[in-house]
Amino acid sequence: MQSKFSDIELIEQTLGGNQSAYADLVKRHQRFVFTLAMRFTKTREDAEEVAQDSFIKAYRSLQNFEGHSKFTTWLYSIVYTTSMTFLRKRRLDTSSIDDENNFIQVENQNAGFENNMAENKSRSFYLNQAIEQLLPDDATIITLFYKGEQSLEEIGVTLGIEPNNVKVKLFRARQRLKEKLERTLKHEVKELI
Amino acid sequence: MRNIEEQLWNYLDGTCTPQEREVIEHLIATEKEYQKKFEEIRAFELELESMELDAPSMAFTYNIMEAIRTEEASKPLKAAIDNRIIKGIAAFFILTILALVGIALASTNWSAAASGGINMPKIQLPDSKNYFSGPVLKGFLFFDVVFALYFFDSYLRKRKLQQQA
Repeated sequence: MQSKFSDIELIEQTLGGNQSAYADLVKRHQRFVFTLAMRFTKTREDAEEVAQDSFIKAYRSLQNFEGHSKFTTWLYSIVYTTSMTFLRKRRLDTSSIDDENNFIQVENQNAGFENNMAENKSRSFYLNQAIEQLLPDDATIITLFYKGEQSLEEIGVTLGIEPNNVKVKLFRARQRLKEKLERTLKHEVKELI
Repeated sequence: MRNIEEQLWNYLDGTCTPQEREVIEHLIATEKEYQKKFEEIRAFELELESMELDAPSMAFTYNIMEAIRTEEASKPLKAAIDNRIIKGIAAFFILTILALVGIALASTNWSAAASGGINMPKIQLPDSKNYFSGPVLKGFLFFDVVFALYFFDSYLRKRKLQQQA
C-alpha cells in the first residue's frame, strides 16, 4: 500500500529517525528507478544493483536535499550518475573479456528474442524492445519525459544539460525510436508470413 | 517532412509560442498532410505514455533497508553521537568548574591571607612502599603476563581465521 504522505513529509520523517518512512519512499519510486537503471544496464541483475545503490546513496545524502527541486528530479540525477559510473566500470572490466564470452551473451539475447517471438505479443512489447535497442541517453530522455513526469527543464537538471539540448535530444530520440519500432514490426510481419 | 514532424512535436509538447501554436492548429485543420502526420504522431505519443514500467524483485525494498540498517549499525560511535550532546556535556562541566571556583573564591578569607597566609590542611599521602612490596608486585606482574598471553592467543586465532577465509 502506498503511503499517504508526500515525498517531502516522508523525507522529514526519515531525517527524524523513522527508517520505515524511507522504505515507503523506496516503494513509491522503485519501479521508475529500476526502469531507468534498466535503460542503461540492459539486464535485470545489473539494474537492480544500480537501483539499490542509488537509493542507498540518496539515503546517505538525504540531509543535503534542500527541496529546491522535486525529490524525483534529485533522485533521478543520482540514478543517472550511478548508472554512468556503473557503465564506465563495466567497460573497464569487460575490456579484458575475450570475444567468446561476448558471443555467448549475444547468442543468449537472440535466444530470448526467438522465444519471445513465439509468445503472443502486444505492441507495447515491441515498444519496450525498441527502447532497449536505443542508446542509454535516448532511452533515458524518453522514459523521463513520458513516465517520470519530468519537464524539459527538470530533465536538463537530471542529465546536466540545457533544456534546449534536451528538446533537440528528445526529438531525435523519438525519431530513432519510431524507426526502430517500425523496423521491428516489419521484421515481425515477415516472420508471420 | 522532418520539419512538419518537428513542428507537430513542439505543438504536442507545448514548447512553441502562442503564435506558432495558432499557425499549426490552422495547418492541422486545413492541410491533409499535417492532419495525417498529426494523427500518426499522436498515436505514437499515446503509446509512449502507456508504456509499462519494469518491476524489481520482491525483496528490493527489504534489501535496501537491510543495507541501510547494516551501514547504520557499523557506523563508529564517534560518528553516531550527535555533536550537540558532546557540546552540552562540555558546557555542563565548564559551568560546574566555574561555579566551584566562584564559590571557593567567594568563601576565601582574603584578609587572613594578606596578614599571615592561608592555612592549608595537611594532607597525609599513603606510603607507596607498602604497595610495592615483593609479593604484591610479583602478583601484579604475573597477572599482566597471563593477560598479555591471553590477548596474543586471541590475536593469533583471528589472524588464522582471516587467512582461512
